[in-house]
Amino acid sequence: MNTDLMQDLVVVIPISVLFIVSFLPLLIKVFRGNQEPNPLLPLCYGFAGLVFATGFTAAMSGGQKTAFTNAIILDGASVWSSCLIYFLTAVGLMLAYDHAATRGRQFSEFCFLLISSAIGMVVLVMANDLIVTFIGIETMSLCLYILVAMSREEILSKEAAFKYFVLGSFASAIFLYGIALMWGTAGTTYFTAQNGIPGLGDQIEKLIAVNRVFVVGLGMVILGFAFKVALFPFHAWTPDVYQGAPTPVTAFMATAVKAASFVAFLRLFHSDGYSLSPNMMTVLTWIAVLTMLIGNVGAIVQNNFKRILAYSSIAHSGYAMVGLIAAAFGSDFNEGAASLLFYLFSYAFMTMGSFALIALFEKNENISLNVEDLKGLGRKYPVLGLSLTILMLSLAGIPPTLGFFGKFYVFSAAVEQDMYWLAFWGVINSVISVYYYLRPIVVMYMKEGESVEMMTSHLMTRLTVVASALVIVVIGLLASPAIRAVRAVIAMM
Amino acid sequence: MHVLSAITLLPLGFAILICLAPKAWVRPVALLLSLFEFGLSLGILGLFDKKSAALQLAENIPWIPEFGISYFLGIDGISLWLVLLTTFLTPIVVLGSWTAIDKSIKGFHAALFILQAAMVGSFLAMDAVLFYVFFELSLVPMYFMVGIWGGQRRIYATVKFFIFTMVGSLMMLLAIIYLMFSARDTVGQMTANLLTLYQLKIPFVAGDLMNPQTLLFFAFSLAFAIKVPMFPFHTWLPDAHVEAPTPGSVLLAGVMLKMGSYGFLRFVIPLFPEASQQYAWVFLFLGVVGIVYGALVAMVQPDVKKLVAYSSVSHMGYVMIGMFALNTYGVTGSLYQMLNHGVSTGALFLLVGMIYERTHSREIARYGGLAKALPIFTILFVIITMSSIAVPMTNGFIGEFLILMGTFAAQKGFAIVAVTGVVLGAVYMLWMVKRVFFGPAGELVKDEHHPLHDLNAREIAVMIPLVILVFWMGLFPNHFLDWSKASVENLVENKDNYQLSAGVKPKAVQVQGAVVAKDGK
Repeated sequence: MNTDLMQDLVVVIPISVLFIVSFLPLLIKVFRGNQEPNPLLPLCYGFAGLVFATGFTAAMSGGQKTAFTNAIILDGASVWSSCLIYFLTAVGLMLAYDHAATRGRQFSEFCFLLISSAIGMVVLVMANDLIVTFIGIETMSLCLYILVAMSREEILSKEAAFKYFVLGSFASAIFLYGIALMWGTAGTTYFTAQNGIPGLGDQIEKLIAVNRVFVVGLGMVILGFAFKVALFPFHAWTPDVYQGAPTPVTAFMATAVKAASFVAFLRLFHSDGYSLSPNMMTVLTWIAVLTMLIGNVGAIVQNNFKRILAYSSIAHSGYAMVGLIAAAFGSDFNEGAASLLFYLFSYAFMTMGSFALIALFEKNENISLNVEDLKGLGRKYPVLGLSLTILMLSLAGIPPTLGFFGKFYVFSAAVEQDMYWLAFWGVINSVISVYYYLRPIVVMYMKEGESVEMMTSHLMTRLTVVASALVIVVIGLLASPAIRAVRAVIAMM
Repeated sequence: MHVLSAITLLPLGFAILICLAPKAWVRPVALLLSLFEFGLSLGILGLFDKKSAALQLAENIPWIPEFGISYFLGIDGISLWLVLLTTFLTPIVVLGSWTAIDKSIKGFHAALFILQAAMVGSFLAMDAVLFYVFFELSLVPMYFMVGIWGGQRRIYATVKFFIFTMVGSLMMLLAIIYLMFSARDTVGQMTANLLTLYQLKIPFVAGDLMNPQTLLFFAFSLAFAIKVPMFPFHTWLPDAHVEAPTPGSVLLAGVMLKMGSYGFLRFVIPLFPEASQQYAWVFLFLGVVGIVYGALVAMVQPDVKKLVAYSSVSHMGYVMIGMFALNTYGVTGSLYQMLNHGVSTGALFLLVGMIYERTHSREIARYGGLAKALPIFTILFVIITMSSIAVPMTNGFIGEFLILMGTFAAQKGFAIVAVTGVVLGAVYMLWMVKRVFFGPAGELVKDEHHPLHDLNAREIAVMIPLVILVFWMGLFPNHFLDWSKASVENLVENKDNYQLSAGVKPKAVQVQGAVVAKDGK
């Protein structure tokens, strides 16, 4: 029993240590009479914790470990996505360190909340049980509600936080109710077998066919996920929240939250049973198609750069769904799942870089960057202009960038499973998206005018922009190792 | 020996060099580099065995083995002259834009070299995905070229160009992915290697649209038909041509359009033989419509550049019908016409650019009597016009004659209509020449405040190689066609079961197979 507990604890060492380390700056602040320490201090503590957590998680990789009576699972997918989440959190901290809205008097609180949210995500990706999944989602979301409201001057920030909070709570309640219904019908909330009771994955085939209550429960759980990853018709909060939140928080939400939720979503679908329910596939296919369409068409009419990227992130959820549907409803789970992970990985770099670029132009908290403000940017800041060009072309899926290979992979997963319809709509949407991804480039290079001033002192943010553009090209040209990596990860799932 | 890699990838290095060079040196350095590149590509002629139909100088390195994608370059009689056309036009364009481009010249020349790399790469790529990468990559520099250095409506034109091309090429991407999985089902492993894809037997049902081969055929055809552009997908072309700066128009007309017609020869006809033969009439019909429509619309254009743009639609119609005649004359003529069009339309755009630099106007009505004011310019323009309307002894004649002969053998009706296009072509070109160069002096010509100067030495130097080619290709077509003969015959004779080997010859011309195998490696 004792050794069991020890083994259980080992699995959660990274998140426990990370929690304690990120809490230290807050304690220091309290002992100093509520005086905010130098922002470097929480940043360094955060980095130290994240580096330790990443290293420890990576060291535990290989094979499958379970803990806490199977409720937590440490397999390829969870190790891989935890590392991605830690990395994105570190980048989020870097952006926040530079940004006017977050650097202010509450930076230690900010770091603590951001890291706690990341801990929630790590729990989410490791969850092998719907209850733990729920705990992960809630930990992640509660921190995010506050983070979104963090900007002191920006009025939109409060509105966004409130909207996100109310809608998010609804979604969580529905999610929880769905779990209850599933537990009531299946007798378990575990994804895999536990104490002789077959897991959800094993029962799905039987239950979907005969049990309406189970189907309703499953639908509610899917709805909960759909809200978190902004799928149609639960996407409406995204533009407002992404626009209102401080840009570093938006960058973090758009990348890490999406990655974590999609991995948990993938676990729910890790079962052969789904391939026998064509109705559900039809529904999800249409959700994916409409998500892509709404995102891309919505982005065309926007002028605010942050809103464009918000709609683009809705569209990208749709592309990721293509991979997920190929995994869940096809004959072969692995290729679709690997394509989804690869897509999330490529999407994270493109989106992080783009939001970092926006952060670079926000002098005050309540400034909003329109596309037209980029006039002449290409001539004024050539390196930055080139980076933004690469980021936009990658989001549009032009080869040889990482974004192209991400799309190539998900579409090929769909074609492999004979889901031509889905791949066709993905392609049509890629064409639509080209229009608005080209707009910043057009404005930046082809229109006369003086661009807004860049915050030249924000070194870490600039580094993020340039580095992500570089990564997009380099991994784009050398995609092979990354593809091998995600395949290996999925093989361990 | 990695000649092909060198001529594909060196321009990318050149682009970086240009960015690092001091501003005053950019043009001379660019000229030298592009001449060096041309010299290097001429080296291929020395290594190329013109009796062989096989893929030569092949280089194959795995790129993304997980999907069977490789960095696979090779050259044969079909791509040989197109590659040389690209490397030939680049120095001409650099010299031709010496004074026309004055805004951010570094960026311009860097874009030019990236474009060259992408164009050469797409002619040499023998891996479907690699081809797609180059095919799409070529959009980006052209997009900037039109968008930054273009005319008034440049942004509209460039975005339209980009999106039109994307629509087709993404459908092609899906088709490529499908082919890669079909290869997995037959060969046991996913691959985008074109030589393997040629061996696939893709199921075809005559008279039914919803079968794999027909759908794939149309997916590929759409991508290439937009690029060519074939009527009715041509609407992006006049916009892009008119708004593009002169060098952009030259490369767009001279080379980029050929990426489409080359795609038909390299992918569509050999990969989908049954569908190509079944639906050849569609392309013959649309090709003929394009010829007549392009010529009629060109006739009424008030703007010289737009007239040349529509003449491209008409000329590319010939390329299309020659190809889909699916016989040796037709395909040879079509290949030759691609080169002719590159030379003569490229030259026309350069000439239009030269006069535009002097008057800042392209309106035909404002000219007249230019022959007296600019004699050298007039002589050159008339020579190129003769080439464009296919007067015997010029290159255009050989191409159109072969195409019409091939089409007549295949489908008499289409050939008869296409012949009217030759007449119409003469009408719109000669009428334009009459209005611009002869008759009473127009307002721009007699404007005393801005006297017109005849071509200077640089501009003549730009035109000389093109004029030489016009006559060389017109008088000695075999100097060029001999090199492509084996490949074209292999394509036409084995069109039902096309095979291409890297090094070893196919059955049709087996005699000297062993020699080539040694050379190829």
